[in-house]
Amino acid sequence: MAHIAPEIFNGLILGAFYAVVAIGLSLIMNLTGTINMAHGSFMTLAGYLAFALVSAGTNYWFALAVAPILTLIVGVLMERTLIRPLYHRDPVYSLLLTFGLSLIAEETYRLIWGDNGVPFSPPVALQNAVSLGFTYFPAYRLFIAGALLVIIIALVFFLQRTRYGLRLRAAVQDHEMIAALGTNTQLLYMINFGLGILIAGVAGVLAAGMLGLNPQSGNALLMPAFVTVIVGGMGSIFGAVAGGMLIGLTISIVTLYIPAASEIAMYILMAVILLVRPRGLFGEEGIFG
Amino acid sequence: MSDGKLDRKSFLTTTAAVTSAGLVTGFPAILRSRASAADTLRVGLNYEYTGVYAAYAQSETRGALMAMDEWNARGGVMGGTKIEAVQEDNNNNPGNAVEKARKLILVEHCPVQMGSINSSVSLAISGACNALNVFFVDSGGHADAVTGEKCEYSTFRTCHSTWMETHATGYSLAKKFGKKWYMIIPDYAFGHALQAGYHAVGKQIGVDFVGEDLTPLGTTDFSPYLTKVLAAKPDLLLVLVQGDDFVNCLKQTTQYGIVGKVPIGGPQVELEAVWALPKEARVGYWGVEWYYKGASVLGGGNKLADAFVKKYRDKYGTPPTARSAFGYITMDRLLWTVNQAKTTNAAKMAKTLEGSHFNSIWEGGGYYRDVDHQLMWPMWVGQIRAQGTADDKYDIFDIVDRQEAEAIEQSVDEKKAVCHMNWPT
Repeated sequence: MAHIAPEIFNGLILGAFYAVVAIGLSLIMNLTGTINMAHGSFMTLAGYLAFALVSAGTNYWFALAVAPILTLIVGVLMERTLIRPLYHRDPVYSLLLTFGLSLIAEETYRLIWGDNGVPFSPPVALQNAVSLGFTYFPAYRLFIAGALLVIIIALVFFLQRTRYGLRLRAAVQDHEMIAALGTNTQLLYMINFGLGILIAGVAGVLAAGMLGLNPQSGNALLMPAFVTVIVGGMGSIFGAVAGGMLIGLTISIVTLYIPAASEIAMYILMAVILLVRPRGLFGEEGIFG
Repeated sequence: MSDGKLDRKSFLTTTAAVTSAGLVTGFPAILRSRASAADTLRVGLNYEYTGVYAAYAQSETRGALMAMDEWNARGGVMGGTKIEAVQEDNNNNPGNAVEKARKLILVEHCPVQMGSINSSVSLAISGACNALNVFFVDSGGHADAVTGEKCEYSTFRTCHSTWMETHATGYSLAKKFGKKWYMIIPDYAFGHALQAGYHAVGKQIGVDFVGEDLTPLGTTDFSPYLTKVLAAKPDLLLVLVQGDDFVNCLKQTTQYGIVGKVPIGGPQVELEAVWALPKEARVGYWGVEWYYKGASVLGGGNKLADAFVKKYRDKYGTPPTARSAFGYITMDRLLWTVNQAKTTNAAKMAKTLEGSHFNSIWEGGGYYRDVDHQLMWPMWVGQIRAQGTADDKYDIFDIVDRQEAEAIEQSVDEKKAVCHMNWPT
């Protein structure tokens, strides 16, 4: 039982990370019905771009600011050329396209940066562990927790308090009506997709400092993110946060007692939630129309 | 198409177009393949080209292709037969590996095969090849079972066994750091074998295992395990995971502040993984199966070793790793065996290779043992450095000890008790 407090704390931090990745996925899915299987690849791209920027002589903070923006540009180009024609069609189309894109991306990263991973460090000031009384905890993970909180607050503010946020929420409810009222929905979709990719980019740079950076590192985080979206419920940012926390806690606590079951635990949780509440904890019915 | 449905005209047009494209581009290749199969020895390479071990698979393949090119430059095997490598990706999955093994044999007509990295995959390929009486060399799967209870007459192994790895490192780690050990273990054949090996060492010298965690392959977040390590306060943290898992684990071990508090070590370290670590995470005492520098590894004036290191570095820009060495040695010995035996019959090849001593890219030579077909060659122990040297940024390992094979592997009698080969009559 002495281990449980650190594991709970650890699980919450891990969960917050999954929540942010899930929010980006959920944003894209909610508005356009696009299942973005390349979401992990965009995270990896951001990590590699950050590595390239630091190798070119800049520092982590510059890379954290710039790499997600560069990733956003690539994402928007993909959206305009490849993904836009698939909006509001059967989600299988977007799933297949983005799955293909993720395979192409992985091979491209191998060609550019090699099969082997590349070393990417958090800043020196964040490389140590700090004492929290009941455990030592990595300073970098505490920074990640803070950064994720800022992202969530900023996103909620954008969606709730800005005109574009209002239009995004309206488009989720009824995209035809908002188009009929004169809103440029193509621009709206692009902004929405770009926002999801920007969040993925930030998550990717943060993850690169915590995990290894190799051609498939982003994809390893994709499945927990999808599970978080399903558990938390489509169409709900609060659901993504709650789902992420629940997934993170589950993985941490199960690892403490049955490490071999840590991978499967989140799928069991997902199955139980879907049996009891098919729309997820805070999801909206009929989100795919 | 009209109204979103595929009509007869469209179907016929599309089919004709695809068939024409195939005739122009595909069929000549198929015909070339059939023509070349008759006068070429096709060696199947069954490796994990995707997944957590992709970097190791690439290194082993590079070494293998270098050896193949050398044999081709010397005129091939069996009086002029050129060699061709046929690569298949087993996706780090034993089921897929069996499928690919059978494809290499039955479709690609490869009478000999080599692979892989994952021990479970190596075991699967060994069984599949044996069922079809095809010679197979496990270049990189370490689990004891490959040359132990699941040994086959048609299977040989190049890399060290998990028993050799644990016995090369266990005693010296205990002496250096103490006998309270915590182990982080990959939850598959390789990890279980390492765990058993360290238990055997521990039983002999009185080790207290204060924690043992089995982690699923592909684990990205080791934080739940590391908080337990901090609480257990061991003398030594043994990290048995490999590949991307090793990188994740070491990185996070550093971030949790364990590095300054608990010594870290393990049965083997791979340069590919260490090069992917940031400097602050390059720590620990490890077994290493081959290194591209140092007299205790290469020997003084070892022309084979010097040539291998130079050629590899010139071709690929990085020094060869232990994995590169596995691939090179495996392909070289496989082709030597075909050339000597003048056949690809698995039983005759096995009899030819068994027990034959040879010199290679390390000091002292070695041989594949009769009783279990394990390559008997030394292991080395050393410490990682955070940075390379002034003239070689890749040189990040200091060798401190060398362990001879006979001292660290199970004896012939011990192996006879577990390894029973069913030779064809």
